[in-house]
Amino acid sequence: MADWTETYRPTTLSEVRGNDKARDELEEWAETWSDHRKAVIVHGSPGIGKTSAAHALANDMGWPVMELNASDDRGADVVERIAGEAAKTGTLAAGGAGRRLVILDEADNFHGNADYGGAREVTRVVKEANQPIVLVGNEFYDMSQGLRNACETIEFRDVSARSIVPVLRDICRKEGVEFEEDALREIADSTSGDLRSAINDLQAVAEKAETLTAEDVVTSERDRTEGIFDFLDTVIKEASAEEALRASYDVDETPDDMINWLEDNVPKDYAGAELADAYEFLSNADRWLGRVRATQNYSYWRYATDNMTAGIAASRREPKGGWTRYGPPSYWSKLGRTSGKRDTRDSISRRIAEREGTSLATARRELLPYLKTVTHHCSNRELTVRMAAAYELDAAEVSFITGSGEDTNKVAAIVEDAEERVGDRVLESGGDAFVARENDGEKPTEATDAGGGADGNGESGNDGDGERADDADGAAEQDAEGDDQSGLSDFM
Amino acid sequence: MFKAIVSAATLSSTLDSVSVLVEECKIHLDEDGLQIRAVDPANVGMVDLSLSADAFESYEADGGLIGIDLSRLEDIAGMAETGQLVQLELDEETRKLQIQIDGLEYTLALIDPDSIRQEPDIPDLDLPAEVVLEGRDINRSVTAADMVSDHITLGVDDGEEYFYVDAEGDTDDVHLELTEEDLIDLQTGPAHSLFSLDYLKDMNKAIPTDAEVTLELGEEFPIKLHYGFAEGDGQVTYMLAPRIQSE
Repeated sequence: MADWTETYRPTTLSEVRGNDKARDELEEWAETWSDHRKAVIVHGSPGIGKTSAAHALANDMGWPVMELNASDDRGADVVERIAGEAAKTGTLAAGGAGRRLVILDEADNFHGNADYGGAREVTRVVKEANQPIVLVGNEFYDMSQGLRNACETIEFRDVSARSIVPVLRDICRKEGVEFEEDALREIADSTSGDLRSAINDLQAVAEKAETLTAEDVVTSERDRTEGIFDFLDTVIKEASAEEALRASYDVDETPDDMINWLEDNVPKDYAGAELADAYEFLSNADRWLGRVRATQNYSYWRYATDNMTAGIAASRREPKGGWTRYGPPSYWSKLGRTSGKRDTRDSISRRIAEREGTSLATARRELLPYLKTVTHHCSNRELTVRMAAAYELDAAEVSFITGSGEDTNKVAAIVEDAEERVGDRVLESGGDAFVARENDGEKPTEATDAGGGADGNGESGNDGDGERADDADGAAEQDAEGDDQSGLSDFM
Repeated sequence: MFKAIVSAATLSSTLDSVSVLVEECKIHLDEDGLQIRAVDPANVGMVDLSLSADAFESYEADGGLIGIDLSRLEDIAGMAETGQLVQLELDEETRKLQIQIDGLEYTLALIDPDSIRQEPDIPDLDLPAEVVLEGRDINRSVTAADMVSDHITLGVDDGEEYFYVDAEGDTDDVHLELTEEDLIDLQTGPAHSLFSLDYLKDMNKAIPTDAEVTLELGEEFPIKLHYGFAEGDGQVTYMLAPRIQSE
């Protein structure tokens, strides 16, 4: 069956419903276009007839239309080649004097990957245009300021339910659908200003029912997402196990998030034995979530959801009522507050793990707590210094492990001592390397001077010192040039 | 029903003259030949092509309409060597085009014609000047103009009786005059219009250098270009809307 929003799309401006003032402004703009030669931005909510009005206008004025909408690829080059060309060129029928209407649909959406650079190009096209342009968009302020300033503006308002009902009535008559007036009003009210959705809803209902009644409309309400707070209220206070599970289908949260919401809010209404039961189920749910993480088998999500929703509902023993202040999971805010601390902990653990040859988790769980105990408040100073030296800890990290204040003299002195030991250790073990490097620097050739200067230089990083020492001059020369290109002299 | 055998060269030049403007097109399979009409996405250039049944080795059709992806079919036609024949047959059941080139079979999925941009009405224009010249002169003009600018002026000097091409760049200019002697034919009339070179360049690609091309021109009016191919059994008409000359 043909789409009614297409079949009953207005062909002339006078058929555009519910936005009389905007409609007249648009007509006025078109008629005076030769004088002001400005583009116009038509903006407003979805489904209220902006694009339809633009097409109807072109039809009224007898202008051919060039439309670029979001389903086209709209990179800068496409905008320039198609919209730019259309905006600068006359028409096939009337040449240079002919008008053409350029419609750029969803003009607030010229960004993202496919539209890369498109937005800037649109502004350029608008400024250089020799033809009328209508930019259609939902969010006026999503368009760049340059673009907004270059255009006139017409706002389309949401269509009132009072204006939607007659449109629906017209369509019913033309389609030969019997209807109750209440049914149409119900549709108009429930779509809140969106005429296109209203017509789509009407068609959906009319396909099922012989005669439209208000009940048909109510039972065929659009899918919509339920807010998390209503959902908590349902699961915790009212629903049976099955209802609770069904309610979760309409909530836009993953089980991972949902369990946090439930776990944090259940104790606000449950107490004693029923709370214990509820947590039993939450713990089951959490284990299933763990299995999902471990196996990446997301079909286990259903068992997690069963447990957390139906489980909580089934644990309820006393009727609940009243209003409860539910809040977002405290787990999340805790994560946010502690992120700095956890970063420090992980960075220490990583160095411990590296040095001790353990896993990160072992370092964190089994080594770090012992270190904390033996160095508590730096009371065993020698041990603390050795630890700081071994893992190359800075003041903040020493403070994290020992619990002493970061800015105290005690911690500062320990870090200083530790650094000294690290320095000694490097000198001891790296002695040979430094000797080799000194020899290298003493080579009398010009080229190795440059090479020697590159001690701490990334370029020479790939040449081992030893290699350079016994290499011929040619290689050193090449180094000085600073790239991988061989010179002719290499082959002579 | 549609079944035809055609030389690869004829098929390729047919497709090439349409693909310079659009990526997809509708083909009318009439009893006496093919018809293609298409307009580019910006509504600026148009092509009207007919290829009579005489251009085919054999041709049978009863007025069907198919939609094709031009670059696909061009690629397939490109598989044939010079002088080879291509056999085309429409499978009504599956709505696919069976293509055979010397044992190579290719089944091409067609596009729903309703999903392709509507075919344009051909405007009825009375253009005062007419210039007939060789394809290579168009090629010269377009190539030279392209060196300096992205648009080109075409006109006819009514008094002095010559056809001229102008392109003005930021620093360099190109000017070409062709008198009646250089041309195959010239009917003078007031004509002077500015066109986008991008489009003319593309159209020029499809025009054979030895073809006899008729240009119809007016004052700030669209240009019409006609030429024949497939030994006169095919006819192409391009139309291109003029640039608006900003004052």
